[in-house]
Amino acid sequence: MNVIEIKDLVKIYDNTAVQVTAVDHVDLTIEKGEFTAIVGPSGSGKTTLLNMIGGLDQPTSGNIHVDGVDITKLKSKQLIDFRLNNIGFVFQSYNLIPVLTAGENVSFILEMQGAPKVEIESRTKEILTEVGLGDRINSRPNQLSGGQQQRVAVARAMASKPKFIIADEPTANLDSKATAKLLDMMEELNRKEHITFLFSTHDQRVMNKAHRILVLEDGRIVKDEKMGVDATKE
Amino acid sequence: MIRSIAWKNVWRNRKRSLIVITAVMLGTTAGVFTSGLMQGWVDQRIDAAIFTEVSHIKLYHPDFLNNEEIGKTIPKEKSVTGFLDKHPGIKAYSKHIKLMVMASTSRGNTALMLNGIDVKKEKQVSRLYMQLLPGEGTYFEKDGSFPIVISDKTAEQLRIKSYQLDVVVLDSLKREGFPESVIVKLMALDKIRFNTKNQIEKKVTKLLTRKEISRYGGRIVKTSEHYRLRSKIVFTFTDKSGELVNQTFRVCGVFKTTNTMFDQMNAFVLQKDLAQVAGLLPDEFHEISMLLNDGYKPEQVRKDIRKAFPEISALTWKELVPDAGLMSEYMTLYYYIIMGFILFALAFGIVNTMLMAILERTKEIGMLMAIGMNRNRVFNMIMLETVFLTTVGAVAGMGLGWLVIEITGHTGINFSGVAEGLEAVGWSAVVYPSITASFFFGVTLMVVATGILSSIAPARKALNLNPVDALRSDN
Repeated sequence: MNVIEIKDLVKIYDNTAVQVTAVDHVDLTIEKGEFTAIVGPSGSGKTTLLNMIGGLDQPTSGNIHVDGVDITKLKSKQLIDFRLNNIGFVFQSYNLIPVLTAGENVSFILEMQGAPKVEIESRTKEILTEVGLGDRINSRPNQLSGGQQQRVAVARAMASKPKFIIADEPTANLDSKATAKLLDMMEELNRKEHITFLFSTHDQRVMNKAHRILVLEDGRIVKDEKMGVDATKE
Repeated sequence: MIRSIAWKNVWRNRKRSLIVITAVMLGTTAGVFTSGLMQGWVDQRIDAAIFTEVSHIKLYHPDFLNNEEIGKTIPKEKSVTGFLDKHPGIKAYSKHIKLMVMASTSRGNTALMLNGIDVKKEKQVSRLYMQLLPGEGTYFEKDGSFPIVISDKTAEQLRIKSYQLDVVVLDSLKREGFPESVIVKLMALDKIRFNTKNQIEKKVTKLLTRKEISRYGGRIVKTSEHYRLRSKIVFTFTDKSGELVNQTFRVCGVFKTTNTMFDQMNAFVLQKDLAQVAGLLPDEFHEISMLLNDGYKPEQVRKDIRKAFPEISALTWKELVPDAGLMSEYMTLYYYIIMGFILFALAFGIVNTMLMAILERTKEIGMLMAIGMNRNRVFNMIMLETVFLTTVGAVAGMGLGWLVIEITGHTGINFSGVAEGLEAVGWSAVVYPSITASFFFGVTLMVVATGILSSIAPARKALNLNPVDALRSDN
C-alpha cells in the first residue's frame, strides 16, 4: 500500500537572477512501513524534496499524494491540519520547546489534536518508554543530552501515530554512540509500529540501516536501491 | 497547553521580562496613585461642599439669588417645612436668614454674608461647628449678647487676628522641641504685637538664619497666631423696612475651612438675634439647607419639591458649587485618560520586548508551525504571552498603588507649601488619597486591552514567518 505517491514533481527557485531547479521531474512511491533514506551531496535537493512531501513547501509543478490526498491542492489552513494529523517531523537540531518538559513536548502535539487527557497521558508515557526515556518524562531539554533530545523529538513525531515521519538529517548533530542508539530505536519503532520513515542523510551509518536508499543529484533521483537491490535497474 | 507555554515563555528571559514588568508596575503605580490623589481631593472637595458649604439642596425665593434682597423670603414657609418634614428622602434641614452686611472694626472692614442660624438644627446639616480652630472660642456654646462666629480669614481682614511671641508661645515652642538658640533669638520679639503675617515674617527673617527659617519659620508664625475673642464687630445693613441699621456682635468663635472663598464671605450669628435686628418675622427665612438620606439623589428630591412648590427655587449642590459638581461627573473619565496615556507609552516597550522575543524564537515558531500549530494558536500564544507580561506588571503596580493609597489615605499628604493657592480655590491642603474598587476593575480591563493590542505587531510578525525559512534561521 502506497503512503506517498509523487508524480513529475518540480521545484524551481526563481527569486534570484539565476533560476535554480532544486527538484527536477521526480517520480517516487513510498510504501507503508518503509525505512527510506534520501542521500546526495549538498544542494542536491534532499531537503527541498522532504519539505514538499511534508507540505511545508509548494512545488512549482507536479503532485504529491499522501494516502490518496493530493496535498499540493490543499489550502494553507488545510495543509497545517493535514501536517498535524498525518505527518511527524524530526529536525536536525532537535527543535524541542525549551520551556516544556520531555513529557510536555510529546503531549503538546496530542493536545493540539484534541485527544482526551487520559489518552494523552498514557500515550506520552508509552512512547517515551519506547524511546528509552520513560524516566526522563519531567526533564527539560537542557537537562538532556543531544541524543536524548533527538529521541524525544522522535517520540513527539510518533506520538500521534502519523502516516509517516520525515527526518531531515536526524543524526547530523549526534556522536556515533548516540547515532547508533537513535537508529536502533527508529528501526525498532519502524518494525514494531510499522511507521514509515523517510529521512535525508549524509551519514554512512544511517545509510547502512536504511531499507531503501534514494540517491539524489541535481534534483533528480539517480539511484533507487532497495535492501541491496538497485530498483532503478529493475 | 498554549496558556502554559505562554506563561513559561514570559520567564524564558527573566531579566528582560522583569525590566518590562517593573516598567509596567511603576507606570501603573504612578497612574493609580495620581488617580487616588485626585480622587482624594475631589472627595474632600465634594464632602466639604455638601457638609460644610451648601448641603445637598437649598431652597430660595426665586429672586433672592439675583439681588439678595431682605424682603425675598421663602414663600409658604410653613407648607414648605411641613412638606420637608414628611419627605422620606430628607434627613434634616435648617432654615437661614441671610443678610449682606458691611462689617467694621476699629482696624478694618469687609463685606460679609451674615447667616442667621438655629444652632441645634444647623449642626444636623453642617459640620462647620467641627471646624472651629482649637482654643479659639466655641460654636455659640457660651451665653452672651449677640455672639458671632467668624472665619480666620475674616479675622485677618478685620484685624482681629494678631501675631505675638509672648512667654506662653515661646514656652510652647520649647516644648515642641525648638532649639534654645532659636528661642533666645525670638525672645527679642516678646510683647510685640504684629497685626499682619507679613510683619511678623519680616521680623523673624531678620532674627534667624536661613536654615532656621526654612525649618522653623512656618511653625513659629502659626503658633504666634492670636485671635482677640470677644472683640466687637459693627455690622451695617438695611433692615426690612429699609432703614440703615448698625448692630454690634461679639466674636465667640473662629472657624477655618479648606475653602478661603467660603471663609471670607460667611459669618454666623443666632437666628433670633438677626431676625430681631433685621425686623423679620419668625416665619421669614431666605434659605433652607437640607441633607438627604442615603440612597436619595438630590435631583430626584428637587423634582419632588419643584412639583409641590413651583414658586420656589430649589438648587442642588452641583448647581451651587459647579466646580465640584463637574468634578464628580468627569473625574473618573480623567483618571482613565491618565491611565490610558501611561499604558499607551508602556505599550511601546512591551511591543519592542515581544518583537525581540519573536526574533529570538524564529526557529522555534517555524517548528511549531511545521508540526501543525495553526495561525490561531500561534496568535493566541503570543497574545497570551503579551497579556501575561503586561498583567503581571500591572497587577503588581495596582497592588503597590493601592498600598501607597492605603498608607497615605490614613496619614494624609500635606501640601502646606502651596496651601494658600489650593485653599483659595476650595481644595484642601492636606489630601487623603482614596480609590474605588470599580477603578481597579476598569484599569484591569485597560491593561488586558493594552496587552492584546501590543501583541498585534509581534503576532503579525510571527504569522508572516514561512516555516521553511524560519527553520533555516540561526535563532
